Amino acid sequence: MYVSKTGLAVIAAAYIAVPLVLGSNNYVMSLIVASMIIGGIALAWALLGNLGGMVSFGHSAFFGVGAYVSALLTMKTGMPVFAAMLLGGVGAVVASLVMLPVLRLKGPYFALAILAYAHIFKIIATEWSSVTGGSAGLASVPRFPELMGFDLSGKIGSYLIILTVLLAFVAAYRAIRASHYGIALRAMHDSEDATRVVGVNSTLLKALMLFVSAFMTGVVGAFNVHYINFLEPDYAFSGLWVTLPIVAAIFGGYRTILGPLVGAVTVYLVDQLIFKSLIPSGHQLVLGALLVAMIIFSPGGLMPLLRKDSRRKHAAA
Amino acid sequence: MLRLEDLSVRFGGLTAVNTVSLSVGSHEVVGLVGPNGAGKTTLFNAVSGLVKPSSGRILFDSVDMLRTPLHRRARMGIGRTFQVPQPMHELTVRENLIVAQRFGTGAVDARKIDEVLDFTDLTDKAERHAATELALTELKALEVAKALATNPKLLMLDEVLAGLETNGKRRFMGMLKELHEKFAVGILIIEHDIETISNLCHRVAVLNFGELIADGTPDEVFRDPEVMKSYTGASDA
Repeated sequence: MYVSKTGLAVIAAAYIAVPLVLGSNNYVMSLIVASMIIGGIALAWALLGNLGGMVSFGHSAFFGVGAYVSALLTMKTGMPVFAAMLLGGVGAVVASLVMLPVLRLKGPYFALAILAYAHIFKIIATEWSSVTGGSAGLASVPRFPELMGFDLSGKIGSYLIILTVLLAFVAAYRAIRASHYGIALRAMHDSEDATRVVGVNSTLLKALMLFVSAFMTGVVGAFNVHYINFLEPDYAFSGLWVTLPIVAAIFGGYRTILGPLVGAVTVYLVDQLIFKSLIPSGHQLVLGALLVAMIIFSPGGLMPLLRKDSRRKHAAA
Repeated sequence: MLRLEDLSVRFGGLTAVNTVSLSVGSHEVVGLVGPNGAGKTTLFNAVSGLVKPSSGRILFDSVDMLRTPLHRRARMGIGRTFQVPQPMHELTVRENLIVAQRFGTGAVDARKIDEVLDFTDLTDKAERHAATELALTELKALEVAKALATNPKLLMLDEVLAGLETNGKRRFMGMLKELHEKFAVGILIIEHDIETISNLCHRVAVLNFGELIADGTPDEVFRDPEVMKSYTGASDA
């Protein structure tokens, strides 16, 4: 897969420079990891929106299911954490199966239906207390293991794990978008009938995108639970796990691959490091205003804006 | 190849297609004519699967189409164009054909795509953006090209000539004739222009208010006073 020089430099900096420079600052590292968790969901959410043409308010369900599946597998069967994380993703895909009937709905109807579905899982997690621990939740969920003497459960280790997960997501997203399926999905955007009459099974393609998106979100949820070692229904299925990523994705540009990640890191870090210290309560207001400004002045989000800028610089040079 | 048996399509109280029985042979060119609102496009939509018939049967190569999902019909050999061209937006001309070929036939064959591009005079426009950078003639050609890329046995053409100026029309006509031979397809074509139909079709079927009122050679059909009455919109006078 083609990776530009800038891309390689950013990846190298992310793996080496960030831990070296910021690694000793636990607070900043924890903010970065948190922003990357939001970024992972944002990317998965944007994939569904960009390729599948669907706006979901139900991604907190995938996040929560992934977290519960992975936590329970490691706690009850002793499964290794990384294997359980993948199965957490699979669990989220299974959860998405019940959403298949609503794929035929369009626009706001789909969004509302999927929001309602998301609640079902929260109720299950609360009521099925013999397995999930009910509203008391699960304590001491296993942490990330040691790898060759390096403790992955620390801030730096966790950062490297989520970084790797996100890079894998980006690679998968790129591969899907460039495939024939990706082209057909792009075609479906504005011309669904025309695409269907040449033989594209649009419902199947949308379902596949839902699965991919659910899987990614489930893995991120699983990562989060092993990172914080604790889980309860209100937290796992909180609406914040979908609203923040939506803001991040739209801010960064949901039709680009990197936009949601850049948006999440930017929005989260700027909010926490700058606005929060300036306006301790109600700092989210500023974010809201920024988002509105972004939508008005650059509906495509931050990424197109940055690109336009660099193009202008190239032209001037 | 295609056989409609007592096909009806109703939308609420409106009967758009009313117990129509019609067939198209595997190497036949059949014109479908009739005034606006006669149900011609609805009939196309029923065959391609975009609307659901209320009663009757659609058989394609003896397979019941009503039990065949829309996306599989292209794979079986049913190709169509839209009256208002519907390029796949956001894609280039070539990507349009790649999607049509990949999903309509199951495989991608770049040579065949070049051949279709060449045949429809779109080679120069292959890398252009289909939705924004094509003129009407080219959009119409792309409609035909997309259908051809799915390797159809039956090509349903919905007013592909309408709106073209005389020269474009003549060129397009030539292309359709050649296409019939070269790609060995049966054609069902909706068209208003009697001369075009007479020139191109072995047979003509006439719809009026959803009902089939004539089915025969162009000579027979266009001499039928009832057909001409519906056709010219003549009143009872």
